[in-house]
Amino acid sequence: MDHPEIVSHIRDKFPGDRVSLDPHAYPDELRMHASPESFKGVCLELHKILSSPVMMLFALDERAKLNKFVINCVFADMKKSRWIIVSMDTPPDKACFDSLSKDIYSASLFEREIKEMFGIEPTGNPDPRRLNLHDEVWPQGNYPLRKDFVKMQDGPRGDYRFNRVEGSGVFEVPVGPVHAGIIGPGHFRFSVAGEPIINLETRFGFTHRGAEKLFEGRPYPEAVRISECISGDSAFAHSLAFINAAEKIVGVSVPAKAAYTRGILLELERMYNHVNDIGGIAIDVGFSFPAAYASIIKEAILQLNEKLTGSRYLKNVNLVGGVSIDIDETGKRALLESLGKIKRDIEELARMLEASVSFMDRVDTTGALRRKTAEDIGVVGLAARASGIPMDLRKYFPGIYKDAKFNMITQASGDVLARLRVRISESGESCRLIEEFARDLKEGEEINVVPELREGCAIGYTEGWRGPVLYWLKTDAGGSIERCKIVDPSFHNWQGLSYAVLGNIIPDFPVCNKSFDLSYSGNDL
Amino acid sequence: MKILIILLQTAFFIGTAPILSGLITKVKNNIRMRKGPSVLQPYYNLAKLFSKGEVVSDTASWIFRATPFMVISSSLAAAMLIPILVPSGSMYHMGDFLALIFILTLGRFFLALSGLDTGSSFGGMGSSREMFISSLAEPAACLVIFSLYLQFGATNISAFGGAGRLSVASLVAGIALFLVTIAETSRIPVDNQETHLELTMTHEAMVLEYSGRSLAMLEMASYIKQMIWFFLVAQIMFPVAMPASGDIAQLAFRTLWYFARILIIAAAVALVEISLAKMRLFRVADFLGFAFVLSIVATVCAILGV
Repeated sequence: MDHPEIVSHIRDKFPGDRVSLDPHAYPDELRMHASPESFKGVCLELHKILSSPVMMLFALDERAKLNKFVINCVFADMKKSRWIIVSMDTPPDKACFDSLSKDIYSASLFEREIKEMFGIEPTGNPDPRRLNLHDEVWPQGNYPLRKDFVKMQDGPRGDYRFNRVEGSGVFEVPVGPVHAGIIGPGHFRFSVAGEPIINLETRFGFTHRGAEKLFEGRPYPEAVRISECISGDSAFAHSLAFINAAEKIVGVSVPAKAAYTRGILLELERMYNHVNDIGGIAIDVGFSFPAAYASIIKEAILQLNEKLTGSRYLKNVNLVGGVSIDIDETGKRALLESLGKIKRDIEELARMLEASVSFMDRVDTTGALRRKTAEDIGVVGLAARASGIPMDLRKYFPGIYKDAKFNMITQASGDVLARLRVRISESGESCRLIEEFARDLKEGEEINVVPELREGCAIGYTEGWRGPVLYWLKTDAGGSIERCKIVDPSFHNWQGLSYAVLGNIIPDFPVCNKSFDLSYSGNDL
Repeated sequence: MKILIILLQTAFFIGTAPILSGLITKVKNNIRMRKGPSVLQPYYNLAKLFSKGEVVSDTASWIFRATPFMVISSSLAAAMLIPILVPSGSMYHMGDFLALIFILTLGRFFLALSGLDTGSSFGGMGSSREMFISSLAEPAACLVIFSLYLQFGATNISAFGGAGRLSVASLVAGIALFLVTIAETSRIPVDNQETHLELTMTHEAMVLEYSGRSLAMLEMASYIKQMIWFFLVAQIMFPVAMPASGDIAQLAFRTLWYFARILIIAAAVALVEISLAKMRLFRVADFLGFAFVLSIVATVCAILGV
């Protein structure tokens, strides 16, 4: 549906002053304000016509100035390249909103998050448990994202109940939060009948650092550095998404060279993570030679990163208004040279894996996530594409990817092999894109502009290697941040993993997990 | 005198057992373009573990404490039955192949019990998988023994040297036993010793709760067990005729050859490990089923006399 068409459709359904349009939005945003009674109806209608999961659902504490909480719900309109934001107000003395989660599954975790962080009740949400704040640590009555929260207060403690599967021969296997190997902490509760998994419940929040709260009151340069630490393996994607929101607010247009540099670095980040995961999938099924080969390729990419930016993990590059590093002719030559070798090595790695019967037997049909399931629970990014859902911000919100003729890569089967193949093909595509972008790098062009600070709010987004990284940012006139909501694709996709492993045997869980390779810290914030 | 020699050769056997794991790791790492730890690393690990304190779970019963002793003594007893230098006579008359397998099984039985004992989630899974795998591996191993008995008229290990010539039946039996050995020594594609992923472990999951001296004993026991299995495969695949007398040159040659053929088996295991991915758990049934079929073929060959 077209822009005015959606608006008139919603207006017809919700006449009078039940829905009003915000005229100050950016071209890639459409903002509506709904009355509390019609909020749920508008969201369901948008979910239906856009077939988009709830991409973001979050609250704002505006009690100090306007004496209200605001709830925002964001949907993606892929076809028209824009975000649709529905907001509603709720009074602080009786803060609540109608829960969407019985109709839209992807809203349920967001609602639990709003409830624990702000104390706003999602009326009708069937799951009253907390999400990331653990009852063992946080007493009841603490709402850390409220503006007037200063210090944790003591109070009564609740308890956390896992879902139970009962019956003869059904056992629970608790795994984590401390795992062998150097990975993040998360708790997995398996219910198994023999080896096959009949239920998996995840519990996270062990790396909850209060990241969103940390942003508040900080100026841009500091905030960019924080955004790089949200999920270490996506440092560049996170800072880019943050910067994207900030640049919309200050109204700066980025120099072409900065845009291409960002494109190159984003693809490099994607490549080193994809190669790392290809090797990780191999090692998780005990196939150590390709894994060793992959670690060599990953190291080559990290060294290339360091050569280009001075940082192996691409930190300290993004600025509001451009980038801090200038890729000159020598840098460009080094980039293209290393890239040629890396590309050949990745192809060799892929051949090695595809030629091994014992490896293919392990990954084929393992951990299959069907498209319908993935759509219902709102899986995004790489995992969604492996299940056949065409969803890639590089295609639908193209920017510089438009001229580079980006090819979106999808697979149909949704198993470990499909996710592996998406990674392999995307690595090749990234090589091609980098070559395209590098061609457009001109010697001596400016790489950043100084922004003028302004007040406002906007959505920032980028397609990181896991999927869409989304930031919603609100700043005051001095450019310091009032509220920053972060959604890492891991937040959506952990649910996907819980469904993908069902019916698989327990020893296959690690390889299923690795094929998603989700972030703990990006989820916990 | 004989007892002294048996003790000496057993000590020699045990002393050289850990180096095999070191060698396999070294070969694998070199193929993976890595330096890897020294081949003596298993000895360093044992020394470290022996000097460390131990943590025992509050819920553990006497089985947990007794198991390391049971396992190591079963491995030691089995090692005593292995003929290396002594030409004939001695203890290995009473200890034939069949006895050896059942002595090792005693250790395994206790290991599986101790995996269940502490009630941790991984130990139980490990025990259940170990029993699943061994219930498939043992029939194949027993049938191999049967075919060897038909061929040599004895289940005595030193008899398998035969006339020093490899028959078809021995070759097939050797291959079948090699597959069983991979399962018994928890190697890829059946199990993976290098993994840190508890959910995929079999042998490692059972010993996950152990630390310090107990862990050292269990590790030592599995080195010895591995050496025994490699030796058995080597004895069948590379037969040596028994020397008539205790000639020094003969003895030196035997010792060298004894080592060389075990190294060949170890290298073969390392190559298998590096070139395959681990199988899905339930595919192990097919793998060991194949070993079983091979052992039937070996039996038929032995009956036909080829």
